[in-house]
This record gives sequence, C-alpha cells and structure tokens, in this order.
Amino acid sequence: MTKLVRLLPRISMQAFLMVSVCITIFPFVWVAMMGTHSRSEIYSSPPPFYFGTRLLENYEKLLEVMPFWTVLGNSLLVSVLGTIVTVLFCSMCAFGFFAYEFRGKNIVFGVMVASMMVPPVLTLIPFFLTVKFLGILDTHFALWFPTSANAMGIFLIRQYMVTSVSRDLLDAAKVDGASDLRIYWSVVLPLIKPVLATLAIIVFIALWNNFLTPLIVISSPEKYVLTLALRSLQSVANTPWGAVMLGTFMSMIPLLLAFLFFSKQMMAGLTAGAVKG
Amino acid sequence: MKFQLMAGLASLVMLGASASADEIVFDGFPDFNSHLDILIPDYEETHPGVSISYRMNQHGDHHKKLTTNLATGSGAGDVVVVDVSFVGSFINAGGFENLSSPEYGADAMSEDFVGYAWSQGKGADGNQYAIPVDIGPGVMYYRRDLAESVGADMEKAITDWDSYIEYGRKLKEKNVYLIADAADVAQIIIYTTIKDGEGYYFDENGKPLVTSERFVKAFSVAKQIRDEGLDGQIQAWTNEWYEGFKNGTVATQLSGAWLLGHLQNWMAPDTAGLWGASNLPDGIYGSWGGSFLAIPKQAKNKKEAWEFIKYLTNTSEAQLAGMKNIGSFPALTGTYGDAAFEESIDFLDGQKARLLFAEVANKVPAVAPRKGDLIADDLVIRGALYEVLNDGKDVEAALRDAERLIKRRVK
Amino acid sequence: MSITGSQIDGVAVATAPAARKRRLSKSLKKRLIPWLFISPFIILFLTFTLFPMLFSVYLSVHEWNPVAGLSSMEYVGLANYQLTLTDPWLWQSLYNTVWLAVVSGVPQHLLAIPVAYLLVTGLRGGLRHFYTAFMFIPYITSTVAVSLIFFSIYSANSGILNQMLLGLSDMPVFSWFFSWVPDVMPIRWLTSSDLLKPSIAMVVIWKYTGFNIVVYSAGFLTVSRDLYDAARVDGCNRWQQFWHVALPMIRPFVFFAVTLTIIGNLQLFEEPFVLTQAQSGGVAQAGLTASYYLYLVGWQWLEMGSAAAISWILFLFIAIATSVHFYFNGRKGLGEDR
Repeated sequence: MTKLVRLLPRISMQAFLMVSVCITIFPFVWVAMMGTHSRSEIYSSPPPFYFGTRLLENYEKLLEVMPFWTVLGNSLLVSVLGTIVTVLFCSMCAFGFFAYEFRGKNIVFGVMVASMMVPPVLTLIPFFLTVKFLGILDTHFALWFPTSANAMGIFLIRQYMVTSVSRDLLDAAKVDGASDLRIYWSVVLPLIKPVLATLAIIVFIALWNNFLTPLIVISSPEKYVLTLALRSLQSVANTPWGAVMLGTFMSMIPLLLAFLFFSKQMMAGLTAGAVKG
Repeated sequence: MKFQLMAGLASLVMLGASASADEIVFDGFPDFNSHLDILIPDYEETHPGVSISYRMNQHGDHHKKLTTNLATGSGAGDVVVVDVSFVGSFINAGGFENLSSPEYGADAMSEDFVGYAWSQGKGADGNQYAIPVDIGPGVMYYRRDLAESVGADMEKAITDWDSYIEYGRKLKEKNVYLIADAADVAQIIIYTTIKDGEGYYFDENGKPLVTSERFVKAFSVAKQIRDEGLDGQIQAWTNEWYEGFKNGTVATQLSGAWLLGHLQNWMAPDTAGLWGASNLPDGIYGSWGGSFLAIPKQAKNKKEAWEFIKYLTNTSEAQLAGMKNIGSFPALTGTYGDAAFEESIDFLDGQKARLLFAEVANKVPAVAPRKGDLIADDLVIRGALYEVLNDGKDVEAALRDAERLIKRRVK
Repeated sequence: MSITGSQIDGVAVATAPAARKRRLSKSLKKRLIPWLFISPFIILFLTFTLFPMLFSVYLSVHEWNPVAGLSSMEYVGLANYQLTLTDPWLWQSLYNTVWLAVVSGVPQHLLAIPVAYLLVTGLRGGLRHFYTAFMFIPYITSTVAVSLIFFSIYSANSGILNQMLLGLSDMPVFSWFFSWVPDVMPIRWLTSSDLLKPSIAMVVIWKYTGFNIVVYSAGFLTVSRDLYDAARVDGCNRWQQFWHVALPMIRPFVFFAVTLTIIGNLQLFEEPFVLTQAQSGGVAQAGLTASYYLYLVGWQWLEMGSAAAISWILFLFIAIATSVHFYFNGRKGLGEDR
C-alpha cells in the first residue's frame, strides 16, 4: 500500500503526459487517416476516424496533380540551406550582443526587438518591391535569405548565452590570446549547441510552413515549394481532398524527422554538461 | 533525394527563364486548370507558335497575388481571372487593358453575352475591361421527396417569401430545415430587388441605401426564418452542410447553377433523382458567382492573350467544354440553343434544368458595381446581418449602425 | 648634418602619428568587432525590413488602392489615423486581440513550464524524446489541416466536442457536473459571438504550447544536476527544487518566451481567420483581431493607407505592452544582473 502511495505521483504524472500526448497527436493521426479516404468520405459527418482503403488511389492522384517529390526537394533545399545560414547568422549576432559592450548596443537591440512587432500582413507589397529591385524574384534564395538574421533567433540565443556561458570563461580565453572569432567559434558555439538545435527546429519549421513569401515570390511551377503546391490545389470546387491530406501528412514527416534529429542534439547538451557562471 | 536537391540547386542558379514571344501565361484559380488541360493542346495545335502555360492558386491567394502584381506593376500573367466579387474594384483602378479600344474591339461582341455579366465587366467610364467567362444564374435546389412528404407544391411554395416560410413550417413538423442558413435569403433579396438606377449599396450620388425598404425587408425575412427555427444555422462548405444535403435534413438551397455539379459529383452523389431546381422564391432573378478574364497592362503578350480570351469566352466550343469539364455555366448566349441544354439531368429526376438556368441568366438585371460595394458588403452581410440573426439585435438599429460605419469609410 | 638632423627629425615626426595611427586602428578594430558580429542583422534589417517599415509609414498618410498601382497614392495627412482611431471595428478588434492574447497566452506558459520540467527531470532520454516530439506536433501541423480538423471538432450537430459533452452528461458521476449540457445543445462553438473567442483560444493554446515546451526544455537542460543534488542535500523536496532552483535559473527563457507570446499573440491572425472562414471576423466580429482587421481593410477593401494606419496603431500597442514587460522583468530577464 505505501509503495502504491509512493508511486502515485509517478503514475499520475505518466497519466497526465499520456493524456496530453493523445490530445496533441490527435490531428496528426487524423490527417494520416484522411489521407486514406476519398473526398466524399472525408466530407461525411461525423468524419471517419479510422483508416480507409484509398491510400494508393490518393497517392496516384497526388502525383498526377503535382510533382510531389520535386516540390518536396525544393522545400527541403530552402529549409536546409535557410536553417544552416540562419543558425550561423543568429549565433554571430547574439554573440555580438552578449560578449561586447559598445555604444549604440541598446539602441540596436531595441530596434531588433521592435522589428518583431511590425505586423507582417502589410509589408508584403514593399517586400515584393525589394525582392524585385534586388533581382531575386522567382528564386529560392529570396525565400530563406531575408529572414536569416531574424530577431527571434538572435534573442533566443542571446538568452541562452546568458544562462550558460560564463563571463570568466570569455575573459580567460581572451587572456590566453584567443582571437574574437576563435572565442566565438571554438569556445562559445560548443557550449550553446542545445539552443542552436532548438533554433534550428524552429527555423526549419518556419521555412517549411512559410506560405506568403513563396506565393508572391515564386512564379515558375518547377520552383514551387510544398505549401504553395498544396494550397494551389484547393478550391471550393474540385479539390482532391484525399490527395491533399495525404500530401499534407507526407509533408509533415520530414518536419518530424527534423525535430527528432535536432532534439537529439538538444539533449546531447545535457550530457556535455553546461558550464555555469 | 540527392538528385532532387541538385535539381533544386540548379533551378536556384538559373534566375527566371525569359518568356518567348508567343508564350501566354494564364493566372487563375482551380478548377480552371482542369478546363485548360483539355483546351490548351487543341488550341496550341490550331495556333502554331503559341504556347500557353498556367499558374493556379487558391481563390483568395490568387486575388492577393494579383493585387500585389497590380500594385507593383510586375509579376502578373498575360491573362488573369478575376472573380465577380472583385471585378468592380479591380477594373476601375486602371491596371487592366481597355478592351473597348480599337486594337481589341470588344464592344463588337457585347450582344453575344449575357447582359448582366457583360455590364459587370464594364468600367465606370463605359469601357469594357473584363470579359465574362462563366456565370452563376441563381436557382433554388429543393428535395422532391421532402416536398412530397409534406404534400407541398413547389410552384406554390415559391410564390413569395410568405409561402416559402409557410413551406418551412410544414417541414419543421417533420424535423426538416427549410434552408441551411437564413442569411442566404437576406443576401439574395438585397442583391436582386434593386430599383432602376440604384447600385447594390449606394444610389447614383454615392449615398448608402442600407436603411432603405429593400434592406429592412431582407433582414426581416431572414430574421423570421431564424426566429421560427426554420433554418439549420449551418455554415456553407462545412461537413454539416454536405451532410444536410445527403441525409435530407435540409430541404432547399438557394445557389448558383454550378452547385449542381458539386452536389452530383461529391457532396451528395447518393441522392440522385431526389432533387429538383426551380426559380428563386418571390419571382426574383439573381446570380451567385461568376468569373471574368482580363489583360493586365503589364502583360508581355497582349495580342495573343486577347486571341486566347476570345477563344475561351466567345466560342461555343470552349464555353460548352467548360460546362462539360468543370460545370461552369456559359456566359455566351449563343450556346443556349445547343443540344446540351435539352439534356435531361438524371440527378434532378430528369429535369431539363439547363434551360431554366439559361432563362434565369437572361433575366438577371444588370447592376453596375460602385466604389465601396466590397466594404458595404462586409459591413452589412458579414457584420449587421449576423448580429441580427445570431445575437438578436434589432433590425433597424443594426442597419442604422451599418450605415454609420459605411458613411465613415466610403466617401 | 643639417640634412641628417632634419631626416632624424623627419623620422621622429613620422613615427609619432604612425604609432598613434596603429593604436587608433587597433582600438578602431576593437570597436568594430562587435559591429562585425552583428552585421548580418544590420545588413538584412536595412535591406529587407527597414524599407517595408518606412513604406508603411509613408502609406499611412496616403490614400492608396493597391490595384491602381504605386503612382496612384494620394496624400491625406493624418486622415487615416483620424478615421481609424474613431472606428468602432478597430476598438472591437483591439479588445478581441487583448482578450485572446491573455486567455490564449497565459495557459500556454502555465502548462508548458511544468510539463517541460517533468519531461526534463522526470523522464529518461528516450521517453522524453518521444513525448516532446508528440507534444510538438500541433506546432508543425499546417493551418489547412488545423482548420479542417477543428471545424469537425467544433461542428454543432455532429462535432466530437459536443458528442463528448453529451456523453459525459450521461455518465454516472460526471452527470452531476454536466447535467446542463442537453439543455444547451447544440452548442455553436464557432457561430455564436460568446463562444467564438474561447474556441479560437483553445486552438491557439493547443497549437503553441508545444513550442513553449521545447523552449523551456532547452532552458531546464541548462540547469546542472549538481544544483538539484545540492538542493536535495539541503532538504528540498521536488516542488521546492522546481520553485527555488529550476525556475530562477530559467528566468531568461521565461522572459524570452513571454516576450514572444506577447508579440505573437497581439499579432494573432491565422487561427481566427481560418476559424471564421475569412468572414470578416465571424458573428458580431467576435473573432476579429487587429491583424485580421488590417488584412480586411488592406486586402479586401483595398484601402492600404488606412490599413497602414491600423498597423502602426497596433505596433504602438505591442510596443507599449512589450515595454511594460521589459520594464518590470527586463533586468532579471535579460540577465543583466549576472
């Protein structure tokens, strides 16, 4: 009996986590299920909450209405390239804000935070003008480069540096004669791997799910990314919803894999042991 | 995967391929692609040297992209589709070619098209900027079996709104809804019972009309339907809406001719033969939806674009193909004599419904769009109407508030 | 001799500025280094963010129908602001925005912090991995799928939510609490003005809590085991370890995540937009947020100038909220006391 009482918190915790997971995983499973039904089946009421028999049909339809694998490749290219550059740029900027005192720092930091507050809905037209002016319309470059040093990422990494990189360590490295670049690259970066992984996840997903930028920037169908290709199939009229749902489900899988990959890197930070100030 | 990555990289390096002289780009929304897939091969064969490609985006996205393209003067295709809800505000802004000018000479074909649709593509200056490609003559779809079960005569039921509501009361005893959403009734009364010289929301001097008798009547009828519990309060394009059609819990739906194709293909295919189509109640003629084709001023290949537009809109071949391929109803009146219109439609229990659609199309009154219609539409239909129906706000008060808001916004 | 002397003099004269110059260049270099590190942000900001911002400032004092092209702007002074600030729909939308920001924002953190803590301290690596990934799923689900799914869940006559409530009202113990359910059926989650906001808030909470869990997990991972061990030696129980050891350590993460929620929630657009089927904010505009409204004004009504004015009013709102947050929590949150 006492053993049971001792175990109670553990059990209730597990139960709580299980319930939470059921709630959060629900849509994922449902999307998977819808990918195996026809449109009429999806649009019955209540909608079917079980796996159907039209998986192959939907897959064939999907390949018929869009070059799914090419488009997936495009999305992958944009997201991978964008994630690498973003993590690099954001960590550089964060290091600049974290490791140095310089005149104008607070102003730049303030501007940076403020730049997050501009409602994005309106900036679409001037953004299009900029992209056109730079001659990068209809390129994948224009999809990931403009946000590759974004305020959110810089802010996140800076916050992590505050908790896990000690100033003494920086000073010690400086006394040892390490250059600034070296301190950033060989001393600080290894210490903040978990947050780099966290940011990588967030950026990867943001790029993968971005829709508005591709809509106005990309015009050649062979450069379409997944969001754009899947959205462009949708209409009141004749959407092959089974195929779209299958495509949606398949487009979520790389995200899940990316998450598992980066989250492993995140956890690795724990065993490496953070150096505390 | 690696290969695709390389392919992606290659496409990244090559910045936008330049268009050849006779390449036409068509910007639109689905289901135009299904239509074009069938037409383009033939067209390219009969027009050597011309090649046509299209870019489809979801309806709302397409108009957003088109707005950006018109705003910045670049990026639009040679032929663009404009939905009827946007056509008024788009064609008067100067971004499209004047098709009445001598190099196009669109006016010569004005007689070939359904009158109201043709005039919707006319700018305030009297010139033609957009050509109707499909229209949505309004009818009432009804369940024959439900009408029979309460012993109702549909001809009598649609005499006026009172008889329509009376029909609803009989249905209610059998736990069947008269209509999915009472708001549809208000909307169609507003759009159709317009006096000569009036616009949808404004008179010729730009004064808002929303507190006029037409609006009070529209709101009151809808409110009566809602208050008596005759409508299902079901939003369009949701599972519940389709379900209502399938299992016969909703008896009528006011909509465009195009709804037939959806009902028959995927919304309620199992109910074939149980449906009928009639005129709208109260002897009104109206329309739901419709699309137009236009040439942006920034287009690179205007001459060929115009040829293609003429093919799509002004040949029976293309117009009838549209009806066959994607169920879009022709705007070209010459097609209405075609044998296809005499076909009896099994889904509607053998009714020759296309004749009805054509008759309606010719009777819909022409109403010129006015500046501010889009705003007023949101404020009245999406704003005031639902406050009255769902929140029980007083009709006159709601309309007065809407008028105040419109006056502030539209000057 | 005089030549040599002058030469020496010359050398002496020459060396002094050179040394100063070298010293100067060294200190210049030193001053330049931080700027080099933050240069990606500055360059990208100047290229891609500043112009759109200035453009929308310019726009806010003009009247502009975007489909008429850039040349059609007309200067109207502050008329757009005047119109906007006296607009009932704007105030309604700001109220909705704040309501949604608070109701959908606070629970995200109240849930995410303890869950992240449980995941990091209570579970082994593999299991934690698995749970975190699943809790993150809502965040990666595309909006289209989200809207489709929640329309089914919220559906009045056949939706899972209403069916579940009805089921509960039939069950032995629960019926005490849910006996009122059959009387109010069908509950119209998305088409009644009272329930629309809570329904949207639930979706927002569902979608973004996982994101915060990941951020907080990264935070809790920085707390070394030694600290917990030390606390345990001092006789702290698990709750005390959480409250006195872990929580203070992740303060910068709370600060970051709260900042993001404030800014993000005050810009809330997609969820209300899809859940109201883009119908101008739903019944009685109960789901019309400020971002939604400026979208409506700019892209539907084609009054970009007026929309720009709304966007700057919203910007001001967000800036004030963020400043208050920075003022009260910034010192500790930004780690400046460390």
